[in-house]
Amino acid sequence: MNQTKKKRTSNARSIIYYLLMSIIAIMFLIPALWGISGSLRPRDEIFRYCNPISWRTFISENFNLEAYQEIFTDEVILYTRALLNSLFISFSAVALGLFVNSLAGFAFAKFSFRGKNLLFILVVFSFMIPFEIIVIPLYIMVKAWNLIDTYYALILPAVANGLAIFLFKQFFEEIPTSLLDAARIDGASVPTTLFKIVLPLSKPVIICVALILFLGQWDALFWPLIAVSRNDMIVVQVAIARFWGEYSVEWGNILAGSTFAAGVPVCLFLFLQKYYVQGIVKTGLK
Amino acid sequence: MGRVGKGVLFQRTIPYILLAPCLVFLFCFKFLPIIISFRESFLSPLYLGHGFIGLSNYLDLFTDPTFWNSLKVTFLFNLIITPFQITISLILALLVNLKLRGIGLFRSVFFFPVAVSMTITTVLWGLMLNPQSGLLNAILKVFMIPEQPFLSSPNQALFSIIILCSWKGVGYWMIFLLAGLENIPQEVYEASVIDGANRIQTFFRITLPLLKRAITFVVVADTVINFLLFAPIYLLTRGGPTGSTNLLMFEAYSNAFVYANVNRAAAVTSILLIIAAIIAVMEFKIFKPEFEY
Repeated sequence: MNQTKKKRTSNARSIIYYLLMSIIAIMFLIPALWGISGSLRPRDEIFRYCNPISWRTFISENFNLEAYQEIFTDEVILYTRALLNSLFISFSAVALGLFVNSLAGFAFAKFSFRGKNLLFILVVFSFMIPFEIIVIPLYIMVKAWNLIDTYYALILPAVANGLAIFLFKQFFEEIPTSLLDAARIDGASVPTTLFKIVLPLSKPVIICVALILFLGQWDALFWPLIAVSRNDMIVVQVAIARFWGEYSVEWGNILAGSTFAAGVPVCLFLFLQKYYVQGIVKTGLK
Repeated sequence: MGRVGKGVLFQRTIPYILLAPCLVFLFCFKFLPIIISFRESFLSPLYLGHGFIGLSNYLDLFTDPTFWNSLKVTFLFNLIITPFQITISLILALLVNLKLRGIGLFRSVFFFPVAVSMTITTVLWGLMLNPQSGLLNAILKVFMIPEQPFLSSPNQALFSIIILCSWKGVGYWMIFLLAGLENIPQEVYEASVIDGANRIQTFFRITLPLLKRAITFVVVADTVINFLLFAPIYLLTRGGPTGSTNLLMFEAYSNAFVYANVNRAAAVTSILLIIAAIIAVMEFKIFKPEFEY
């Protein structure tokens, strides 16, 4: 009797929770849904059904891919090229970043050496320095090194990442040292131990770090805006900013370009979200 | 004997070899720029000879009303946005930590804006916030609220920026707080139920204190990010109307790339870095976890 009563209240409570979460979810989804639908309709229709609000605000009767066709063939703003550039620099940063940061994380997790604490403090400090603040001096340096308008200027600054080192270190510490000792007795070298034993056990943290590095590059605007001025070197966020800044603004093109550019990381995150959360739960905050 | 010695030497150098690439990158692209930035802030601009001029850049800033306004706007922005975002993300984290069916769907919905870039967030919200044809005023109309000017009003522009940043940002902090919640052992809650604590007591006496470490991280990281906000200002308001959204990071950008005075910009970013560091240290002190679990 008592138990059924308890169950009922908890049901009522979960209905309230669902309701509350649904309202918040709608607030989160509205901008995205409106943007996506705007990219899929004829351009003179984008603002027509905004006010007053109705189902037409979000669903168009005249499905239309004109905006997409246009951005992919635009000859002034090379959107397709920008997508490829962004893919290239993002994957390069992920590949280099996973390698370099996992080595460092391994050193901090499984070795004791002189200066370890000081170096680790430097690493933590480095992830407290956001990228934006060093953009201007970085520009001075990169210019002095003749790297303006090169992929190096876009990739190299994003490789070492304090947060990535931190996550790797925390994760590797959980791997029993006895396992590594056994490998060493069997004659495995340090690289073999890292690549054949430690990393295969570290899937969540690898995916988590890869996502962080990928997103950092894919979403970057400030640095690519400054470091690269050649038209065929622009990245996707800069392309969108240029669509936005044009004198005759084509809203449909902006929405199409944004939908496509946001779709890539959103899909990645939704598929890999489990690992991302796991990576942070298991490491970040212990 | 010699072989053992060699082995030990090898062992000793290994961590440094492992760390070397990373340290080189960190030095070149994190620490060196900061050192250069400080140095440049004491030099005159290129077109004035690029010589050492002591604190002149800083003194110039301190006598410039634009800078003081920018500083004021930056503080106001942070005083509002950081507590706002953390409250919302804590509520979201508590909600998605519930053991309900389909909770993963809500988690994804609250989280997806994190993957949407600041540029796209800004573009989308820029259109939504359009006073005449934007969606937001249409939504307000449903609730009988009159049309608002949003970004075109000096009183509302900063708040509009806060809303768009929070749409993108809260899901990110939610994940860190959720991680904190998931790391709280279930037995602690069971004990508090046995002790007869109600939900509100449990939250304030148990959840919140045990979440302190996660909250500390989120508060500090969120503060630093908000202090350096750039994209929405650059794309939407350019600091206006009448300087009401002229955050320091945009002021630095204007100095460097509009007025071609990199040195003055370096002085602005140096000040920003010092302020952010001081606030981060203060927050660490205030939120310092008192006990372990």
